[in-house]
Amino acid sequence: MKLSREEYQALENIVGPEYINQEPVIMDTYNQVWGNKFFFDEKHSVRPAAVLLPANTEEVSAAVKVCNKYGILFKAFSSGFEYLSLSLVHSKGILFDLRRMNRIIEIDARNMRAVVEPYISIYRLQLEAAKYGLFTGRIGVGYSAGIIAAECCHHGCQHTMVFTSGYGRNVLGVEWVLPTGEILRMGTADSGGDMFSADGPGFSLRGILRGRTGANGGHGVITKASVKLYPWYGPAEWEQKKKPGEPLCFGQLDSVLDGYRVFVPSFPDLDKTLEASEDLCRAEILCAFGIGIIGTTQMQEGNDEEWAMMQKMTRNIDPAGGMSIANSVVAVIGGQSTRELEYKEKCLRAITEKWGGRFSPILNEPRGLARAFADIMWSNGVNLRSTGDFLPSSSSPDGSPAMLKKLALQEGEVKKRYEEAGAFLTMGSGMRMVSWRPEENLSIGAQGISTAQYDPYDPVSLKAARDFIDELFDPRSPFNRYGVPSRGGCLQIEPVTHIHQNWGPLYDNYDKWLRQIKKMLDPNTVGDWTAYIPPEYPDYAKEGDYVLPSYGKDERL
Amino acid sequence: MAWQDYVHDMQRCTRCSYCKWIPYRYMRNTDFAQGCPSLSRYLWHAYAASGKFNMAYSLLQNRIEIDDTFLDVLYKCNMDGSCDISCKVQQDIEPLQLMQELRIKCVEDGQLIPAHMLVIEGLRKEDNMMQSSKADRGKWAEGLKVKNLTGESAEVVYHAGCRYSFDQELWPVARGGLQLLMNAGVDVGIMGTDEACCGGRAYELGYAGELTKYAEHQMEAFRTAGVKMLVTPCSDCYACFKVLYDKIGKKLGIEVLHITQYLDRLIKEGKLKLTKKVPLTVTYHDPCHLGRLGEPWIHWQGKETKVMGQMIIHDPPKKFRRGTNGVYETPRDILKNIPGLNFVEMYRIKEYSWCCGAGGGVIDAYPDFATWTGSERLKEARAVGARAIVTACPWCKRNFLDAAKETGDNMEVYDIIELVQKAI
Amino acid sequence: MAEKELVKITGGSNVIYKPGVLEEYSQDSSFTPKVKPRCVVRPANVAEVQEIVKWANETRTPLVPISSGAPHFRGDTVPGTAGAVIVDLSRMKKIIRVDAKNKVAMVEPGVTFGELQTELAKSGLCAYMPLAPRQTKSVIGSVLEREPITMPSHHWDSTDPLLCAEVVFGTGDKFRTGEASGPDTVEEQWEMGRVQMNPFGHSHVDFQRLIAGAQGTIGIVTWTSLKCCYLSRLSRALLVPSASLEPLIDLIYRPLKFRLGGKLFILNGLNLACLLGKNPKEIQELKNSIPPWVLFVSFEGYGVLPEEKVAYEEVDFRVMARSFNLMPANEIPGASADDLLRLLSQPSPEPYWKTRFKGGVQDIFFLTTLDKTPDFTAAIADLARQQNFPLENIGVYIQPIVQGTSCHCEFNLYYNPAKNSEVEATRKLISLGSEKIAALGGFFSRPYGAWKDIAYRRAGGTINMQKKVKDIFDPNGVLNPGKLCF
Repeated sequence: MKLSREEYQALENIVGPEYINQEPVIMDTYNQVWGNKFFFDEKHSVRPAAVLLPANTEEVSAAVKVCNKYGILFKAFSSGFEYLSLSLVHSKGILFDLRRMNRIIEIDARNMRAVVEPYISIYRLQLEAAKYGLFTGRIGVGYSAGIIAAECCHHGCQHTMVFTSGYGRNVLGVEWVLPTGEILRMGTADSGGDMFSADGPGFSLRGILRGRTGANGGHGVITKASVKLYPWYGPAEWEQKKKPGEPLCFGQLDSVLDGYRVFVPSFPDLDKTLEASEDLCRAEILCAFGIGIIGTTQMQEGNDEEWAMMQKMTRNIDPAGGMSIANSVVAVIGGQSTRELEYKEKCLRAITEKWGGRFSPILNEPRGLARAFADIMWSNGVNLRSTGDFLPSSSSPDGSPAMLKKLALQEGEVKKRYEEAGAFLTMGSGMRMVSWRPEENLSIGAQGISTAQYDPYDPVSLKAARDFIDELFDPRSPFNRYGVPSRGGCLQIEPVTHIHQNWGPLYDNYDKWLRQIKKMLDPNTVGDWTAYIPPEYPDYAKEGDYVLPSYGKDERL
Repeated sequence: MAWQDYVHDMQRCTRCSYCKWIPYRYMRNTDFAQGCPSLSRYLWHAYAASGKFNMAYSLLQNRIEIDDTFLDVLYKCNMDGSCDISCKVQQDIEPLQLMQELRIKCVEDGQLIPAHMLVIEGLRKEDNMMQSSKADRGKWAEGLKVKNLTGESAEVVYHAGCRYSFDQELWPVARGGLQLLMNAGVDVGIMGTDEACCGGRAYELGYAGELTKYAEHQMEAFRTAGVKMLVTPCSDCYACFKVLYDKIGKKLGIEVLHITQYLDRLIKEGKLKLTKKVPLTVTYHDPCHLGRLGEPWIHWQGKETKVMGQMIIHDPPKKFRRGTNGVYETPRDILKNIPGLNFVEMYRIKEYSWCCGAGGGVIDAYPDFATWTGSERLKEARAVGARAIVTACPWCKRNFLDAAKETGDNMEVYDIIELVQKAI
Repeated sequence: MAEKELVKITGGSNVIYKPGVLEEYSQDSSFTPKVKPRCVVRPANVAEVQEIVKWANETRTPLVPISSGAPHFRGDTVPGTAGAVIVDLSRMKKIIRVDAKNKVAMVEPGVTFGELQTELAKSGLCAYMPLAPRQTKSVIGSVLEREPITMPSHHWDSTDPLLCAEVVFGTGDKFRTGEASGPDTVEEQWEMGRVQMNPFGHSHVDFQRLIAGAQGTIGIVTWTSLKCCYLSRLSRALLVPSASLEPLIDLIYRPLKFRLGGKLFILNGLNLACLLGKNPKEIQELKNSIPPWVLFVSFEGYGVLPEEKVAYEEVDFRVMARSFNLMPANEIPGASADDLLRLLSQPSPEPYWKTRFKGGVQDIFFLTTLDKTPDFTAAIADLARQQNFPLENIGVYIQPIVQGTSCHCEFNLYYNPAKNSEVEATRKLISLGSEKIAALGGFFSRPYGAWKDIAYRRAGGTINMQKKVKDIFDPNGVLNPGKLCF
C-alpha cells in the first residue's frame, strides 16, 4: 500500500528526500530474506510502503510520531539478516534501516563498556574493543549482525556465552524510542549520566526491554545501547591470512593468538562427553566452548569441494579409530598471565582425563586449532550454503544439561524420521548428537541447540520441514514441557505460528502480561508485532483451541 | 546463462549482507571494512548485490518493472566484483554474473542509460570508448620507433587500449610501458590507428553484441598480424582479452599478459634491472580487472544434484570463480624490487580490494560517484601512511587523479610503469 | 471485618493486631515517618498469599510484604499509607531444594542466610552473600533488593544471584518466572531435569527484573531459586592497605577485569574496625590502628585443582599490586585477612556490625563507577566537615558489582540514636549528602526513603514507564503504596 502524499511528505520532512524511498524496486529489496519461504510460501514478505534511513534518535522519534498520527506500522532493523527483522503485518508499514546510525560512541575501557549505535556490528566492536584489551560476545548470526540487535532486540546464542553471557544480560543502558515516539533512557542515562546501569531507580525496565528474546522491532527502536565488555587476552590487532592461490575462506591465523590456548579433547561416548563438558564449563576456565559442532578441519570453498573432502575423509579415517566429532569438544582458555593459562590448562587436562578423554592429533593440529579459535571466538560465517536454509528447530530451551540431553535425544528421534526420508541434510552417521551452549560458566544453564537443514525450494524438503516444526510446535505434544518453542522468537512469525496463543496458557499465561505490555507501550499498535505479540488474537481461535502454523500469507499490496 | 537462469541464486540469497563488506576474516580497520562502493555511497539495500538478486527475483515474478529506479540501481555500480567474492566466501551463487545479465537484458529491452548511449555510439562509429576520433588512435605513440603491425610483424602486440590512446595526460605511461619493452629487446609492435576497443567495457554496460563483434575483430587482426602474444598496460583490456573472450567462446589463440606480468618476467630474467633508488612510501591499488576480475574464466556445464539428503552439489563438480587466481603478487613483486621504495599495504587488498570507482560505466554516467569512490581509496592510502598510490590500470589512475583534484588531496598517483621507469 | 476475612485465609493465630506488634511494624531505624499498619498477616503458602492479594484488591487495602525480621533500616517495610496490612512472610521458611550439581537452591522468603549456608554446606555449596548481613535478613529480601554480593567476578548481572521466582502479582495472579514457568509443577520439572536455573523470560519479558528492586510494589515473591557457589575447600585472603583510596581503585580494576579472586571490595578503616571489633571500645582501638583504606581480596579454592587455583590467583594478584606499589598482606595493623574472611561467609554476629560502634547507623548508598568513588568520598568528607559531622564516624564500603562495570558505594554514618544532636546531625548529613551525591552523578538505583524523591526527580522517563508497568501488574495499587514512584 502506498502512503498518501501527506503521509509521505510528513516523513520526508523529517529525514530529507534523500533518505526516504517508496519505489517498488527498492522496497522489494527489503522483504526478501532466508526463511521467508518457510513461513510465507514466497521469498518475499509484505512489501513496505516506504523505507527510511534516519540519521539519529530525534529523526526516529519524529518519524514514529508521524506513524502514530497516520496509523502507519513501523519496524526498525540494523543488518536485516532475519526474516523477523523485515516482516510486516500489513503493507501500510514502513521500515527504518538504521545503517546511518553507525558510531561506536564510547569505549570506557576501565569500566568495561561500550556505547554503540544500531549499525555497529559485533565484529566491528570486537576489532575496536581489542585495542583496549576487551572483548564482546557474539550470537550465531555471523559477523555482520548488530550489537544492539544481539543484546537488546533479538534472541541468539553462541559459544562465547560461557564467558560473555548474552540474552540482554550485557545491557547497561539504552536509549529507546518507544512506539509512541517518546524517548526512554533507562537507568543512569535518564538523568544524562554515564550509561553504566540500566536498572532503576526501583525495578529495572530491562524487564520489558526484552526477555529470553527481544521484541524484534515490535516495541519501538533502540537507538543507542551501552553494553558490557569482557577481557580480551590477545593482541590489539591480528591478521588472518591465506597463501596465494588459496580461496579466501582459507584465511586464518598463523596460530592461536597469544594469551589463548585451544584444545579439542575427544571422549569415548556421548555420556562421558556431556559429563566432561559440564565439568569443563563449571571449572570457570573457558572463554568459548563448543560440543561436537566446530571441527578443526578447513571449511572448503563450496559445496562441491566440501563433498569431495567428506568423501576423502570417509575413505581416510577409520571410524573404528574412535575419533568422533560428535564426542569432541572445542575448549578455548585465556589468561592474562602464563600462570593463569597453565592453571586452566591443567584443569582442562585433569577433567579430560577423568572422563577418559584424549587429544587426537588430527583434531589438535596447530593450524586446525588456530582455525577453530577464530571460528569459535568470532565467526565462521553463517552456514546456509549446504541446503540453502536451516531451521532452528524445537524449543531449544535453556536449562540444565540433563534436561537438554533428554530433549535432544527425544527430538533427535523425530528428526531422524525426516532425515531417513531424505528431507533434511543428514551426516548419515546415525550418531546421537547432543549439543548445548553454556551460559556464564553454566551457572544459569545452557541453551540446547538443534537445527535441521532443509531446502526450501525443494517441495518435499519444505513440506518435511513444516511437518517437523508442526510436530514440535504442537502444544499437545510431549515437547510441551521443555519451554515455549521458537527459541522465544527466532522461529516465530506470529501471524503464521501463533506461538503465544497456543503456548501462553501452558506457561503461566505469560502472554497475558506480554500483550498488556505491548498495549501499554504501543496504544495505537503502530509497532509491527509479527515477531512480538498480536494486540489481539484472531477471533477464529476459540479458547482452548490450538492453532497450528498456517503457512503462506494474505498480502494486499 | 540469461538472467532468468539465475533463479536458484535469487532464491538463495539469504540477505546476510556479506556482499556489503570485505570478508570478515580480513577486516582489520573498521573505517575500511566496507567492500561495495555502490552500497556505501547510496545506502539502500538495492545497491548491494543482494538487492540485485531481490530485484531480479521480483522482476521475474512480475512484481516490479524495469523503470528509472531499476536502471539507477543497476548502473550506479562499478561492476567491480567485490560483492561477488565476499558472497562466495559463504555461498555458491553468482552475484556479478546476474548483474551482468541484468544489464544485458536492459540493453536488449532498450532500457538504456543516456550517457552510455553516447559512449556506445562513439564506439560503434570510432571503435573507442572515449568518444574520440579513430584517426587519433595511434597518436600516443608518435615519435617512438615502434613497429606498426598493420604492415610489419612482431612477436608481441602492445595494446594500449582506449583510455591510454585518448587520455593525453596518460600518454607518457603508455609510451613508457612500450619503451620499457623495446629497451629490453622485446620484439613488439602496435596496431596504431587500427587498434580497436577490446569491447570489454561495452559488455559491462550490457552491450553484449559489441563484445562479440570486437572479439571477432581482434582475433582476426592478431591472426593477420601474426603475433604470438598480447601485452596490455590496461587492466580492463587485459580482463577482456583474457577472461571475457574466453567466456563467450572467442578465446584468443595467443598468450595474453598484463604489462606487469611481462615486466616481472623481464626483471626475473635480468633483462630489466631496477637499480635506481625511488625513495617513496607507496601503496598498491589492485585494479579489479587485473585482480579478482582477471581470474581466468571457468567453463562448466552440468546439473545440480543432491547428496546427504539435501546438500546441493553439482555434477560434474562446479568450480566457482572466487577471485583466487587474479594477478596479485606480480605487481607487488615488481614494487618490492624497486630500491628504496617503502611499500605498505592498504586494508582492502587483492581479492577484496576497494574499487577505484571508474568501472562499470560509472565514470561515464556518474562521475561524482566515480570520484567519491576514488577519494575513499585515497583516504585509505593515507591511513596506512602512503605518500603515493600506485596502480596498474589507466582507468584507476585517471579516476584517482580526478578524485585527488576534486578533493584537494595531494596523494601522488602513479602507474607501476612510471615507478619502474624511475628505477632504471 | 477485614481481619475476619484474613483469619479465614490464614487462621486466627496468623492475623495479628496487638498494638505492640503493630507498633514494631510502624517504624524502623531509618528516618522514615511512622505509619501504623492495620494488622499483620502471616501466610503459610502461595495460595494464602494469593487469597490475601485478592482480598486486598476487593477491599482496596494496601499490603506491605516483608520477608526479613527486625530490625529494619531502610523504611521500605514501614507502610507508606495508613490502613495497610503487613504481609509477613517469615513463616514461609522452607529451603525447598538444593541441587548440588547445578548449584541451585530454592528457598522461601523466611529463610535467612545463616539457615541457607548451613544447608548448602551439606551439598558442598555456599550462598552468594552480601557483606555480613544481619542475622534476621531474609535471603529473598536481600536478593530482591539487588543487594550487592561480595564476589563481583560472579556477579554477571544486577539481578544475580536471583534465578527464577514464584510471584503473586498485585492482581492476585500467580506466576513463575524464567525456566520455572510451564505446565508442570516444580516437582515434575525436577523429574525431567528442569531445575529452575535459567532466569530468562518467559518469552519477550524478563519478569524477574520487574520484581527485583521493586520493594514489593509489583508482586509478592513466595519462592526463588538462587545461583550458588562451590564451597571453597581452602581459601586465602589478603588485605591491601593504603593511605588514600585512589591507588586501591587503580588496583581493583585489574583483578576485576580478569575475574581474578573471589570476594573483593574496599573498606575504609572504620568499617573494617566495625566488622572486626566486638564492641565500641575495641572498634575505637582498631580504628586507630587500621590504615585509612583497605582492599580485601580472597582466593577461593574449589573445582578440580583448588590448591593451584588459589596459588596462581594469589601470585598474580600480588604481581598486580606490586605494579601499583601496593603491599598485600595477610595481616595489617589492627586487622587479619583471615578473620575478615571468616566473617564473610555468615551473617554478622550479634550485635549487627553496623550498630556495634555507636548503636545507630544511617547508610547512604548508590551506584557509580569505581573511578568516581574518590570524588564521592571527598564530597561527603567536605560536607561532613561543613556540617561538623565527625569524619571519623563515617564508614565507607565500595563493592564492585556486575563484574566491575559499576560499583555500590556506601557511606555509613554512625551515631548515637540516644543523642538528639547526633541524630539531627546525621539526619542533616544524610539529606544534604544524598542531594550532593545525586548532583555528582551518583545513582540511587535502590531508592529507599527520602532518596526516592532525589532519584525520581532525575528520572522523568522512568517514572512514566514504571507507573504504566505498575498499572499492569498492580492496577489497584494495593502493593506497598508510597514506595518508589507510586
